Amino acid sequence: MDSRLSNSSSSTHHSNSKKRKKNATANNTNQKTLGVAWGSKSLSASSCSSRKSPFSDFSSYMAHKNCKLQNQFDSEASASAARKPIFSGVSIFVDGFTVPSSQELRGYMLKYDGRFENYFSRHCVTHIICSNLPDSKVKNIRAFSAGLPVVKPTWILDSIAANRLLSWVPYQLEQVASNQPKLSAFFTLKSSKMSEDTFTNALCQVEPDVQDSFPRVGQLKERHPSEVGEMVEVCRQISNESNDISSKKTDVFMMEEPIGERVICDEEKLAEANSSETNNERNTEGELDPTYQEPSTSFSIPCSDNQNVHQFPSSEATGSSKQCHSTLTDPNFVENYFKNSRLHFIGTWRQRYRKRFPTLSTGLNNGISNSNKSDIKSVILHVDMDCFFVSVVIRNKPALFDKPVAVCHSNNSKGTSEISSANYPARSYGIRAGMFVRDAKALCPHLVTFPYNFEAYEEVADQFYSILHRHCNKVQAVSCDEAFLDFTDAMVEDPELLASSIRKEIYETTRCTASAGIGGNMLMARIATRTAKPNGQCYITPERVDDHLNQLPVDALPGIGYVLQEKLKKQSVNTCGQLRMISKNSLQKEYGMKTGEMLWNYSRGIDYRSVGIIQECKSIGADVNWGVRFRDMKDCEHFLINLCKEVSLRLQCCGVQGRTFTLKIKKRRKDADEPAKFMGCGDCENLSHSVTIPLATENVEILQRIVKQLLGCFYIDVKEIRGIGLHVSRLENADTSKQEKYTLKSWLTSGSASVEKQKYHMGHNKHNSDCANCASSHGCIHSQGSSFQIDNKILNIHVSGDPISTPPPLCQLDVEVIRNLPSEVFSELNEIYGGKLIDFIAKGKGKCESSSSLGNSLEDDATCKEEDLPYSDPIPLNQIFSENKAMQHERVLGSGHGSCSQVTHNSNIERDDLLPSSLSQIDASVLQQIPEDLKAVILEHLPAHRAQDFCSTPAICPGRINQDSVGVDTSKNCPGTVNHALNDSLWAGNLPSWMDKFKDSSCLRKLGEIYHRSGFNSQLSSVLPQFLSEFHHLDLTQEIYDETVNIMCELLKQYVKVKIERDIEEIYICFRLLKRFAVKSQFFSRVYNDIFPFLQAAVDDNYGGSLFMP
Amino acid sequence: MQRKENETPQGQAASVLVEFLEVAITAVVFLKGVYPSGAFERRRYMNVVVQRARHPQLRYYIHATVSGLLPFLQKGMVDRVAVVFFNTDNVPLEKFIFKLTVNQSYGSSVEGVDLQISLRSFLAKLSVSESLTKKLPPDCRWEITGNFQLLPETGTSKEANFWIPTDTKQWEQPLFITPIRSMSSDPLCLQFYIEHPSLSESSVL
Repeated sequence: MDSRLSNSSSSTHHSNSKKRKKNATANNTNQKTLGVAWGSKSLSASSCSSRKSPFSDFSSYMAHKNCKLQNQFDSEASASAARKPIFSGVSIFVDGFTVPSSQELRGYMLKYDGRFENYFSRHCVTHIICSNLPDSKVKNIRAFSAGLPVVKPTWILDSIAANRLLSWVPYQLEQVASNQPKLSAFFTLKSSKMSEDTFTNALCQVEPDVQDSFPRVGQLKERHPSEVGEMVEVCRQISNESNDISSKKTDVFMMEEPIGERVICDEEKLAEANSSETNNERNTEGELDPTYQEPSTSFSIPCSDNQNVHQFPSSEATGSSKQCHSTLTDPNFVENYFKNSRLHFIGTWRQRYRKRFPTLSTGLNNGISNSNKSDIKSVILHVDMDCFFVSVVIRNKPALFDKPVAVCHSNNSKGTSEISSANYPARSYGIRAGMFVRDAKALCPHLVTFPYNFEAYEEVADQFYSILHRHCNKVQAVSCDEAFLDFTDAMVEDPELLASSIRKEIYETTRCTASAGIGGNMLMARIATRTAKPNGQCYITPERVDDHLNQLPVDALPGIGYVLQEKLKKQSVNTCGQLRMISKNSLQKEYGMKTGEMLWNYSRGIDYRSVGIIQECKSIGADVNWGVRFRDMKDCEHFLINLCKEVSLRLQCCGVQGRTFTLKIKKRRKDADEPAKFMGCGDCENLSHSVTIPLATENVEILQRIVKQLLGCFYIDVKEIRGIGLHVSRLENADTSKQEKYTLKSWLTSGSASVEKQKYHMGHNKHNSDCANCASSHGCIHSQGSSFQIDNKILNIHVSGDPISTPPPLCQLDVEVIRNLPSEVFSELNEIYGGKLIDFIAKGKGKCESSSSLGNSLEDDATCKEEDLPYSDPIPLNQIFSENKAMQHERVLGSGHGSCSQVTHNSNIERDDLLPSSLSQIDASVLQQIPEDLKAVILEHLPAHRAQDFCSTPAICPGRINQDSVGVDTSKNCPGTVNHALNDSLWAGNLPSWMDKFKDSSCLRKLGEIYHRSGFNSQLSSVLPQFLSEFHHLDLTQEIYDETVNIMCELLKQYVKVKIERDIEEIYICFRLLKRFAVKSQFFSRVYNDIFPFLQAAVDDNYGGSLFMP
Repeated sequence: MQRKENETPQGQAASVLVEFLEVAITAVVFLKGVYPSGAFERRRYMNVVVQRARHPQLRYYIHATVSGLLPFLQKGMVDRVAVVFFNTDNVPLEKFIFKLTVNQSYGSSVEGVDLQISLRSFLAKLSVSESLTKKLPPDCRWEITGNFQLLPETGTSKEANFWIPTDTKQWEQPLFITPIRSMSSDPLCLQFYIEHPSLSESSVL
């Protein structure tokens, strides 16, 4: 049959011709390259000749010149025989006119081992010496100095006089010193090895504080040169200060928490507020407010007239900050951050408010429904404190009332913090919130800045609201300093009189002014307040609404922000009057249904909102966008843990739990510079990831786990992170859920109605239950799944068929499991058991066996059944943690009598959650008897490491006769019936029947299990390695039966038959594997030797050769 | 890889196979180093890097031979295609054998993509199989042979006329087989293995 034809050709011929051709091409290319070289040469020659200059261009000329100058300098320096290398490593560049002159300075540098650069270069120069700078250079100091220190020439003179290198810091040019600090200035400083002794003398007093602040900044920033620079910067400032104001006895420097900058009062301020007055005020303040007398604030008691002290608004914060300064890192950064955040104060204020006036806010809601029906002309009062954040701070300083005052985080001289609030005198200078203090100072040099005083804010806000609530029972708080009052029901005769009396009362109580607006609805009241400010009131009667609105700029309307205003401007709409010209339809078309309608309504003074509707918050979260710098993952994780704590606290505060968690990250843009605002976030990309879990939670640990996962989603370098926010949404009320749905008790007592559904659900989710639940693991109890997980081991509990309202007896609880329960669950369980659980644990600790004296009838049962088992196991079988009493019984029965009821295990598989936590809890004899497929499934659902246990358990009972296998043998093993179709189905089918044959042999059964696990349809070669490696363990302990070898051989023979024709590669791989293991295992060597002749015969039949086994 | 719609599944399978064989045979020739490596250029086929003969005659030889197989492949007449390396005495040293089975009863259309993925693995495996083969003596030659299940009658078809009987001798030593890759799909089964005398003997050679 085999005919052979050849379409032959000679290879030598090919290669010969090839060679020739190759040579030819090689020649070609040679020529070409020659040509190119020649051409280029001629080109360069021509360009050279055209210049007629030794320098090709200006830069090479300059390089040459610099080089020459340097050589000159060097030779002169060596000639002048350096006396002392004071300026070693210092390289100065003199800019402009100086006294002494630049030539003199050059001479000094020559003498004292310094360098002098004629031309400025970022790379060579370490210091810029100049006496004066033009304004343009000061304004753009960075461009001018490239971040290098700009120092007065006296520095050099003084250094020479002192015969050592002094710190240049005190000699910094004043014009520059007041400017923003330059971090990079300190890299060079450091590199010039001056850092060591630079600060020592200047810093002796303040050193402790500096040291305190060091770790703090260290924690914020990565340990990077820039960080060191930062620190040095701070030191420099301090030393600067202490040099300038040498008369000061002590300086108390504090790191202001959220800023991380020192708070230093500057001279201007001193001039304005004379300190004795301040002292007095402080004392009176202290009398008023008991919290001020807490010892932790005592450090701020001034002791000299020149004393500059900044007291922290919150004594608590001070205490903690003190504490954390002594640690290497600030472990409470997040906490402190929020303690000092204004936005946080405003954000969380409402919660406090609600807690403080709970009845009022609830009673309010009832009131609304009544008022909505009434047609009475409504009177709404809007009260707003005048520049609340400022006026509260200065309320005890009447001298400052008419002075420009602003509140900011820190009012250091550098002015890198932002103004958060400014009073009216300050505003008249054009100072606005959000401005840098530096800029504000430029506008108004005598601006006085204060830090926040959150305690005072709280106090005043509380006073404010108690006044409002006294006057009106319908108060809607907008913010801590702003509220709506509905006087419609109160039938007020003269709203204006009422308003003024309220304002008067507010002023008398708080010494802060408030403005009030009165209108027919909330919108008009608010607009009225706008006109009334500052410290006034305004009543817009319904008749005057139109007039008032006509000229009102659109951005005065609430809800119209910058974007909307710009859009309107494009339509040349600037006032409400113009807005009114546009029809509702076109507004809605242009801006969307809601916004359009809002615009239409508002421009007509229509507002349907009613006072008192408190919007439920939809999400709760916390963002930190300031001071976020991480060295490594550990820092980041630590930070996240604290953030989670904060968020969890907030959730608990609000009494809610959430299901969706969003992690937002601000990532520094690639090209972004260090932000202008100190430690700010700068130019960032905003990234976010979120995850939704099935069960709402506020648990810190769950949060932490989720957040960790989320962070992993970003694949981000932690060093790039500039801000992190965690938000929780899909909020549910925690109280109801806690009380009704989620307690273990209620769950235990819950009926069985939903059980069927649950089962189905669980069965479906068998495989992904792990991941679905992972977020909510930690022993939190699922209301629906009614399962809970412990440490990732699935230990799901199901309600059995009958509603069981009593917990299982103690003896049925697995001590291990109980011990590992999260504390909340444990305490809950403990309650159910009436406190006996603790004893149980204590006793269980000693011995694992439940034979400890826990007096229970069932327990005796259990122990004796245990003894029935064919082998002894240290852990009793019945210690399965399961709330399912019935199930428990069934299982114990099954295992005890060694009779396997299929039902039991069927249900086992269906409710895989019932699987015992450890394999020792499984009766091997039972398992052995169940069908292979079920067994495989069971094993599959056991955690992997346990499956291993199982394999190594010598579980085989040699005497056991398996009827099943006999039946299978007859049906399978007739060699004559082996045809391809049958064999194919034998191997490709859902349940290859050879597996039955193996089930009474522990080692081969394993193969079946592995094969099962791999999903039946895979090839033997993929299963074998695992089997062989596992088999290896067994081999030593196992006696080899001829039968086993025969079965294995038969299996392989059939496999060869199936595969030989179509897949010789597979056969090859299998037998190579076998051969490899034959070396190690006696069993396999027997199998291999038995099967090998057959294999070769089969290969010879099909391929006319023998398989090459290297 | 454009194929006509009206082609039979066998025709589709065969044309894929022919294309593949051309690449694979070139790969074998490259692997064995019969020609200097400069005689090949890197190309991409089925998204793997393969070699293509640069010399037109070599390229033509492979192309023409494999194309000549096409009608026979379609009919399922080709049992195997071998790349035989032999010495000056026409004694075979090594044979790379493609054992083919084109399923004649396969009815539905051939999924080119699936087939490609399977075939690609051959090329990938082949490129790392050098260690499985043995070094050839310097003056060896090679040919492509087709083992047909029955001898095509010359004269009946034009294609058959291209084929001439080979001069290469049969194996003189006991034969060993080293499988490289197998693939079995519904339309097409392909096994690729090396036939060679035992290694001990090869060292004598």
